[in-house]
Amino acid sequence: MMVAGLEPATGGSIVIDGSPVSRPRCDVGIVYQEPVLLPWKTVLQNVLFPIQIQKLSKANHLDKARTLLGSVGLGRFLDKKPHELSGGMRQRVAICRALINDPAVLLMDEPFSALDTITREQMTVLLMTLWEQVRKSALFVTHSIREAVYLSDRVLVMGKHPSTVFWTERIPFPRPRPLSIEETAEFNAICSTLRLKIDEALGASVTPHAEEHRSACAAMRLEA
Amino acid sequence: MTFAAPAQPSALAAKGPAARVRGRLRGRIIIGVLPIATAAGVLIVWEAIVRGLKISPVILPSPSQVYQKVITVLPLLVDNSVQTGGEAVLGLVLAAAVGIALGSALAYSKYFRAAVYPNLVFFQLIPKVALAPLFVIWLGIGIESRLTFTIFITFFPIAISTAVGLASIDPIYVRFSRGLTATDWQTFKHIRVPFALPAIFAGLKIGVTMAFIGVIVAEFITSQSGLGYLILFAMARTETAVVLGSIAFLCVIGIGVYGAVALLEVMIRRVWGAPYDAG
Repeated sequence: MMVAGLEPATGGSIVIDGSPVSRPRCDVGIVYQEPVLLPWKTVLQNVLFPIQIQKLSKANHLDKARTLLGSVGLGRFLDKKPHELSGGMRQRVAICRALINDPAVLLMDEPFSALDTITREQMTVLLMTLWEQVRKSALFVTHSIREAVYLSDRVLVMGKHPSTVFWTERIPFPRPRPLSIEETAEFNAICSTLRLKIDEALGASVTPHAEEHRSACAAMRLEA
Repeated sequence: MTFAAPAQPSALAAKGPAARVRGRLRGRIIIGVLPIATAAGVLIVWEAIVRGLKISPVILPSPSQVYQKVITVLPLLVDNSVQTGGEAVLGLVLAAAVGIALGSALAYSKYFRAAVYPNLVFFQLIPKVALAPLFVIWLGIGIESRLTFTIFITFFPIAISTAVGLASIDPIYVRFSRGLTATDWQTFKHIRVPFALPAIFAGLKIGVTMAFIGVIVAEFITSQSGLGYLILFAMARTETAVVLGSIAFLCVIGIGVYGAVALLEVMIRRVWGAPYDAG
């Protein structure tokens, strides 16, 4: 949320493309835990909402919106309202909305945490496919180690209280990555390392809250 | 009224979609007819009691006597209805403007809310009918005092509904809107107002009732015309049928205005959802 410019930085500085982040900016796309779709608007209108707010030409972005929605399998649902969609579909709309104005950076704050396990896995693969098309730098916060390792170039383990970067792990797998890499010994070895580091991070923290959650933060830093 | 035999629904289900549509249509017709049938039943019972017990028309005229009287004084009733209805609608519109503006201010400014809201609630506890004579002293016996009193009695539920509707939005939507670099005005227009519309219209619908109360009370006190005046005038002459006729006209106008507000809500919500035009 600090990276999105929605909250002031508690320390240090946040810089995107050489300019510091002090308030929300147009070149950042955000996907939240909840889809946050406007219930009275159709899928297509929801995806175009950032365009409307930023006073850009809707006509110029209409094709892009259709293409994005088509690539996440929602081509037949352009005129549906959010309440007619499943949870996974709504979150796909939210991802398309975050990408509509071609942001420099994509921020995803546990975007799949409200979904069931199977949908979540499908969404992960879908995000990977979509990313191959758009190739944006993305910061992806998750509590799932496997999700982090599968998606990321670099995984940062965050401590709790204070939320500082405790460990950085580079993920060596080349792209595009098939889901089958999750079966390899190397993949599982990385996951084990990260699990250890998370335990250490929680042990190192001094507040009693630490035991309540296992906190893993993964950052995909993806140079296009 | 005859009702479908219990065996019928399962028979319908077996007959396929066409029969089911017909069944649903009939269900809807029954739902539409039932309230009218109930009202008709009450009128028939009323008529029967008045005739059976030979009640004097001064105490309680039968529906048929009221109807005959209404026919003879129809122009009088219509003229006074136009005045009362017009004033109620005007009062409602002005109260809506005051109420929505005040409600927005209450929702937006913490200090304004702290300064005004407790006093407003306290003020609301005064039975406003008791204040009506003050308006006569201040504004005379013309339309000004009637309208002011009507606005005064009507704006409160609208203001509160608006404030609650605007404030009760899920904060994630506000955060989302800010994240898109929306200005406060854009957030208000595109996010807060659409989310608050159902609450605002709930307030307006209560406002319809209040506006009619306001106009009638004001007419009781000050007016030389209008349905409120007509009721008092007819009562003084023991024309009970005219009193009841006036009340019937009041109901009809009230339902009409309420229906207009409901229709406006449907239209505004549709416009907000119209393709590529959200505000």
